[in-house]
Amino acid sequence: MKERSDRRDFLMKLGIGAGVAGLAGQAGASLRSLVPNVSYDAPTTVKLGLPGEFPDGLRFLPDQRLFVFREGNTFHAVSAVCTHLGCTVRAESLSQPETVSVGGSPLRVTHRFLCPCHGSRYSGDGTNVAGPAPRPLAWFRLSVAADDGQLVVDLADEVGRDFRLTVS
Amino acid sequence: MSVPATTAKEKASAPGVHPRPLWSVRPSSDREAGDAVVSNFLLHWFPAKVAKASLDWGYSYWLGTVSAALLLLLVLSGGPLLFLYIPSVERAYASVKDIEHVVAFGSWIRSVHRLSAHLMVAAVFLHLVRVFLTGAYKNGTGRGQRREWNWVIGIAMLLATLFLSFTGYLLPWDQLAYWAVTVGTNIASSVPFVGPSLRELLLGGRTIDQPTLIRFYVLHVIVLPGALGALLVYHMWRVRKDGGLARADREALLAEKTAVPPTPTKTYTLLGVARGTGPTVRASTLEAPATTVNAVPDLVRRAAIVVLGTMAVISMLAVAVRSPLEEPANPLVTPNPAKAPWYFLWLQEIVTDTTVRIGSFTLNGAFLGGVLLPGLLLLVLTAWPWLDRSPAAAAGRWLPRSRRRQNTLFLAFCLMVVVLTLVGTFGRGPYWHFYWPWQERPEIPARI
Repeated sequence: MKERSDRRDFLMKLGIGAGVAGLAGQAGASLRSLVPNVSYDAPTTVKLGLPGEFPDGLRFLPDQRLFVFREGNTFHAVSAVCTHLGCTVRAESLSQPETVSVGGSPLRVTHRFLCPCHGSRYSGDGTNVAGPAPRPLAWFRLSVAADDGQLVVDLADEVGRDFRLTVS
Repeated sequence: MSVPATTAKEKASAPGVHPRPLWSVRPSSDREAGDAVVSNFLLHWFPAKVAKASLDWGYSYWLGTVSAALLLLLVLSGGPLLFLYIPSVERAYASVKDIEHVVAFGSWIRSVHRLSAHLMVAAVFLHLVRVFLTGAYKNGTGRGQRREWNWVIGIAMLLATLFLSFTGYLLPWDQLAYWAVTVGTNIASSVPFVGPSLRELLLGGRTIDQPTLIRFYVLHVIVLPGALGALLVYHMWRVRKDGGLARADREALLAEKTAVPPTPTKTYTLLGVARGTGPTVRASTLEAPATTVNAVPDLVRRAAIVVLGTMAVISMLAVAVRSPLEEPANPLVTPNPAKAPWYFLWLQEIVTDTTVRIGSFTLNGAFLGGVLLPGLLLLVLTAWPWLDRSPAAAAGRWLPRSRRRQNTLFLAFCLMVVVLTLVGTFGRGPYWHFYWPWQERPEIPARI
């Protein structure tokens, strides 16, 4: 009698367990289907145009959310994505351009950056100076395309603020 | 035939059967009033009798009923919008524009939907304030009361309401929508370790695109309304199980304990359990005629006034107030300033001010102000019924002396939310810079 009730008990637990496991599996599979396996991201290396087409000073590239600066033959690129919550910052030109030392090399600063979402402020080299921004704006690697000589930015390659691309 | 035939009149007067089903809201006797609750589908979730005091306009302000009426309006006005709105990144904006300018009465239907949503956030919040200030989450004299859990359910419903609003204002896919998704999902992304995956799950990818819109759309029209509906049903059921409003308990608590002899006229037939002669029950003070009224028609009448009144006010307001539609979503330009709807502005203020630097270590305001602080507030608010040590007699009345300290604390918190909302609404100008209302704001071009 004791054995029989043990067996029933065991089978009952087995049944319930199998039911719960089955439901959990189905729920898991359904939820897993919502986690994307493929992300159709835009390519991170983008051709921006010939260096000669860039004006001296700043050009904003909205598609890449990027500021490209030119000073004679040297170029550098600063991200326009606010490090706080990802809004696009806007550039405001300074009344008096100044030259500061950034990462050991001099940089002529013509603008500062302001975020319209939560009021973060960055100086012209991307340093966060006020507001909630926790980090400076990112700097990205620029290079010259081997095939047609266009400027190329690599949005996946963050560089230090001493980075300058000199185009001969 | 051993069963005696019953006459039509006997059938009609059998307990639980109302003689005139369609007119059961106008009973001519107590018996009919009780039977109305049982025989009418629309009334079946009411109790037979209800404490007179709990019907007071000035006690509850009927804010829960107003919230439910607004939800009903949202479902009703959402129906036609479901047929008209197209959840596609390319066509969403145009379809909302069509609803606004081309569809017959489209603009009015959209306004009803939008105004109800805005007012529902306010009504649900005020309902929560009322319940807190009257200590209505406290258990009284009844057995098996779990009012504290209904408070928890209520907070879950407040969250569902806020998420419904958030997912709702994304659907037009205008500038407000796009940048709200950007900021909202970046707040989720700021959670340590799981944040980026959480953002990817919300967006359905790493960028804001079609998978994002369809996710928020399904959440808005199926998942969240379903969850809110289920919670609402449970919320109402718990109100019944807990013996009505806390106000009713208070009446029972304060009433003199006079023994009421069992009266043979009281039977379970009011609940439709037994036919013919039922067991007699001991009538408690609650059922005493001096303090209670029949739910039909007294409760029904007031509920109808509130529900129909809410509908009338919204319908008329929606004629006068048009719903705005910003420019189409433009990932290239962030509006300046980019403001959330008013009920999220206090959170936008908080994430603005909570980036802290300790030495070289920086904690992003997105996490501290967007996740940690609201999460903690929510946790404390949810657990409050277990922290509240005031006596049971403090429940069911406004601002009792014994709960003065906690009510002051709570009101201070509410005041902070209101002040931050006002600062966000009226004080913030371009670049989220603070301006006094009389200060001139600089003209800044919308595009650069």
